Amino acid sequence: MANLTFSTPGTSFSPATEQDAHTRRRNRQMRDLLLSTLSHALLLFVGSFFAVPFIWMVLTAFKSDQDVFRSPPRWLPHDVARVEINGQAYPLYNVKTPEGIRQYAALKIESGVADFVDPANPVVIIPIKLQQGAERMAEPVEQISFRWQNFPEAMNRGSRPGVGASFWVYFRNSLIIAFFTILGTLLSNTPVAYAFARLKFPGRDLLFILILSTMMLPYQVTMIPIYLLFNNFLGWGDTFLPLIVPAFFANAWDVFLLRQFFKTIPEEMCDAARVDGASEWQIFTQIVLPLSTPVLATITVFTFLYAWNDFTGPLLFLNSPRNFTMALGLQDFQGQNIIIWNQLMAAATVFTIPIIIAFFFAQKTFIQGIKLTGSKE
Amino acid sequence: MQNSHWTAHLRLLLKPPALPHWTKRETDSFRLGMLFLAPWLIGFFAFTLYPMLASLYYSFTIYHARRAPEWVGLQNYIQLFQDEKFYIALNNTLYMVVIAVPLGLFASFLCAVLLNLKVRGQAFYRVVYFLPSIVPTVAGTILFLWLLNPQVGLVNTLLAKIGIEGPNWMADPNWAKPGLILLGLWGMGGTIVIYLSGLQDVPQSLIEAAELDGANWLQRLWYITIPMVSPITLFNLITGMIGMFQYFAQAYVIGGGGNLGRPLNSTLFYSVYLYQNAFLFLKMGYASAMAWILFLIILLLTILLLKVSDRFTYYAG
Repeated sequence: MANLTFSTPGTSFSPATEQDAHTRRRNRQMRDLLLSTLSHALLLFVGSFFAVPFIWMVLTAFKSDQDVFRSPPRWLPHDVARVEINGQAYPLYNVKTPEGIRQYAALKIESGVADFVDPANPVVIIPIKLQQGAERMAEPVEQISFRWQNFPEAMNRGSRPGVGASFWVYFRNSLIIAFFTILGTLLSNTPVAYAFARLKFPGRDLLFILILSTMMLPYQVTMIPIYLLFNNFLGWGDTFLPLIVPAFFANAWDVFLLRQFFKTIPEEMCDAARVDGASEWQIFTQIVLPLSTPVLATITVFTFLYAWNDFTGPLLFLNSPRNFTMALGLQDFQGQNIIIWNQLMAAATVFTIPIIIAFFFAQKTFIQGIKLTGSKE
Repeated sequence: MQNSHWTAHLRLLLKPPALPHWTKRETDSFRLGMLFLAPWLIGFFAFTLYPMLASLYYSFTIYHARRAPEWVGLQNYIQLFQDEKFYIALNNTLYMVVIAVPLGLFASFLCAVLLNLKVRGQAFYRVVYFLPSIVPTVAGTILFLWLLNPQVGLVNTLLAKIGIEGPNWMADPNWAKPGLILLGLWGMGGTIVIYLSGLQDVPQSLIEAAELDGANWLQRLWYITIPMVSPITLFNLITGMIGMFQYFAQAYVIGGGGNLGRPLNSTLFYSVYLYQNAFLFLKMGYASAMAWILFLIILLLTILLLKVSDRFTYYAG
């Protein structure tokens, strides 16, 4: 231990004067301020990459049909200002008149001629030819305006107007599928995970390796026979059953997640119950499950996320629009020849809202779940 | 042989297997275990084992779903290796595996380091970085189609502001995949969270010791943090690779259903071409052969990554 001499570069061990200490403190403060400003600048810059697309989706959802295709686009939604004359709303224009630019309402525009009136004096009609030579005589007055009607219009419209299936129907279908998927997942995975976590029986570890190795199996390998089984053999095509039923038969991810949690419950509690003559089923349902609400919440949230997001399953099994889910309906809407971007973004926003709500209610659960499935082992 | 009647042997089936050396307790515990495992065991046979064997069998047949499969031996596999589109699809997928996955890991790690800085509003930043990852895939893809619209899209508008003429993105075969990579980076919040939890597990004592030895921030990152999170990098690499080989929904949405792979097959990924073969051309046997090749590729790459990484990952304890 001979070389234990501290020598911090740049500092001397001579007794520091009051002034030295002061400047050092100020230097450190300056450095901290600089570092924190730099950190915030970086965090904000990178953060805008995550936030801006999201904000753009919501802002687009509020734009009018003309505004959405304006080039270059503006951030905030604009619409033509309107004035009410005799109980009816008419668009407002900036009109070039001999007396300068006036704001007139256009009662009607026909073959290039507009009938303008002064909103203050709507009796006198002023007809003006809109295009005079190279000069445009009137420009619409625009103002910031959020078009809320896009939401009901998009939702009522559905992906293919006229087939009687609106996005409300898709929304309901998604909810039904998510509900039963969650139910099946909770019912089927818990006993399996309990067996792997707490029961001792020959072949357990081998079976555990088997279930883990199924995680590596790409869906494409089983997809075709499963499709033929459900669609052709069982006749479940165009129903929710192929999407719901498999959830009732456990899966590797949730079994693993639950097992990791069950293993943290003190063995002594179960042993004490065993001494008192409780069966394994009783220990499982009356001791382990009630202690597992955090992990059950995680599974619920993640299964909801999975079922709500799932695209391939509905694409394979659902054919008629009245059975579409939100994911499938949105894709169908996008696949039409004419894309109505503002309504599409409105529907996408509605599709996203339940997940955002779920996130803010269960933020800790989300993060915990990702860590549990992600980091260890 | 006294009980030589063959039905006598059937009785054995009623008892659990490999009985002689099992005690009664073992037999009972085995039965109980199987009872608890029943949901998974049934599911495993019905939705994993049977479909695996069936698709392996289909891969050696010509199967159009309506008629019974017709055995053709290795014909599907031979045909695949002569199929130009198969190579296009494989190439597109490898492009994403080789470029998008490592890029995503690198960017996620940097974001996690940023989010680990002790600044005011840290929790807020974390939410902002994480939220896009839970936006449904279809909604996110459509949003990026809109953002990357060549004429009125936000991205090209912003690029024009700094004097860059943006590409045609999803309409340009050279830019469609980079567009999809952007979409992937936008939704990397899950990976960031995994890295972030790894960063928080790095022992503070180790960092302080290095600080005392005069290591600067960059040296501490390079010599301590990166080796300490290497198991997480391996995990993210393997799951990212497996996921990328199955990349489907985003590409399907880009194709708008009727134009899978557009533009010019640049988004014809492996799983998209497989889907096309199975459900649009109804070549179920051909698609099954593709699925098994995919499985083998994933299996081999996973084993390879695990073997190679043995030397590069650090496991504490």
